[in-house]
Amino acid sequence: MAFGLRWAGTGVFCATEIRVQFHEWLAILTGTLVQAVLLIFVWVLARDILPIALIGALVYSVFLIGQRVLNEAAYVRIDHKLNELYHASPMSPEAYFLGMSTGIFLAYLPPILVIAVVTIVVAPFGLLPWGVLIACLLAVWSVSASLGYFISTLFKDMKTIWPYSSLITNLLGIVPPVFYPLHLVPEGWRWLALVLPTSSATALVNGAAGLEVLSGEDVLLAGGSLAVEAIALFIFGIYWARRAAREA
Amino acid sequence: MAGAVEKRLEGQPRAGRVLPAFALVGWRWVSRNPVATIVPILLPFMFLYFLWRISDPRYFPLEVVGAMLFTTQNIGSWCLSDSAYWRIEQRLQDLFVASPMGKVRYLFGIAFSNLIPAAPALAILAVILAWVTPVSLFGWLMLLAAILVIWVTFSAIGLAVSSRLVSPREVWPVGNLIFTTLGIISPLYYPITILPPVWQGVARFLPATYAALLVQDALGLRSAVPGEMALDAVLLLVSAVVGIGLALRLYRWRER
Repeated sequence: MAFGLRWAGTGVFCATEIRVQFHEWLAILTGTLVQAVLLIFVWVLARDILPIALIGALVYSVFLIGQRVLNEAAYVRIDHKLNELYHASPMSPEAYFLGMSTGIFLAYLPPILVIAVVTIVVAPFGLLPWGVLIACLLAVWSVSASLGYFISTLFKDMKTIWPYSSLITNLLGIVPPVFYPLHLVPEGWRWLALVLPTSSATALVNGAAGLEVLSGEDVLLAGGSLAVEAIALFIFGIYWARRAAREA
Repeated sequence: MAGAVEKRLEGQPRAGRVLPAFALVGWRWVSRNPVATIVPILLPFMFLYFLWRISDPRYFPLEVVGAMLFTTQNIGSWCLSDSAYWRIEQRLQDLFVASPMGKVRYLFGIAFSNLIPAAPALAILAVILAWVTPVSLFGWLMLLAAILVIWVTFSAIGLAVSSRLVSPREVWPVGNLIFTTLGIISPLYYPITILPPVWQGVARFLPATYAALLVQDALGLRSAVPGEMALDAVLLLVSAVVGIGLALRLYRWRER
């Protein structure tokens, strides 16, 4: 039982979270602002890399879900102390973590779908790249949601959280080659880009769509890192949710 | 009784203390929350890095100027956040309204306290600018003037909008939406001439557009025809006066 997973309450909590998030429609709407800004930069200054930037926008949008999980988990715990109520209920800690992460993901899906439609119009890809894209987005979601939930438990004050969440999302979303091609990064630093979850996901999709040429080693490094990060962080997220529930 | 209090308050000095007091508020924010201070000013640097990677290298000096103006414009968003937080969460505005300090001094004080965290970023960007392109004394003066006008105008807009917010959860999305959108419509990071005509037309209604054009003219980053620079300066002042006037009309100092 110690390692067994208990999912009781996941669906209900996911539905609750979707409702909660839909009350914050302005936050959902403005959640794509940075992506829009970077896409405008690309459209104005380097239109030839627009398809790559659109894929980057999709990856970055999903990566931002982690920031929302961080904010929501911290808000529920610090401002409302509601987590104590949830953990005292029959709902399991893993259902709390997964329900919240999935609910936020689904609530923030509409703007992501808009970017996906624009991508289909601007750069029509085959089925394989879309399959790779969906797999990579799920992996990025797993990484960011687990990371966001973990970080949310480290703070005692809402005002101290946002700079860290903003720093992580911007450092991993804007600086590495997410919105621009991997070949613009100096050769000595490409391995780092292929290890980071956001840029490895973008590189894999770009490679599958034929927008960039990746060597077999590059694909192995990017795919391997992303898969390991997604699985390891998800398991860690579940472990941390249980631990946080015990301490609540 | 009320008359006696009014009389005593009238006897108190009302000038000369607001700026140092708000400067202290600004400095406290920097000293107590170094990370919170660094993060908002990192975004223009990240944009700059991104643009340096993707765009023509000859645009880089223009993009550095854009980052300076964007940072200044973002002070408006911080003013919005501070003012809303003090009013909604801490009920501090009631205290300020009841004090001898007037509305304009309070607003100017918040704007000044938020200029302090932005100052290091502006200084670093100024060093980068001097490194990537020669800047004359006239160029520096025009840049400073443009920054001052943008600071006052966008701080006024931020403060005016903040007075209409009712929940702390509106602060972040509203501030982000207004200031990011305005920063992108104005040609801060790219020459106005490469934008589509409709976009250029919309940008002509915003003060930051004229600030960018004025500085680009003064630094020789675009080839302006004679008289165009003076016209940009006049239009910057006019749009700033209109913006500040609208902001003052929108601003709500006392609860109804």
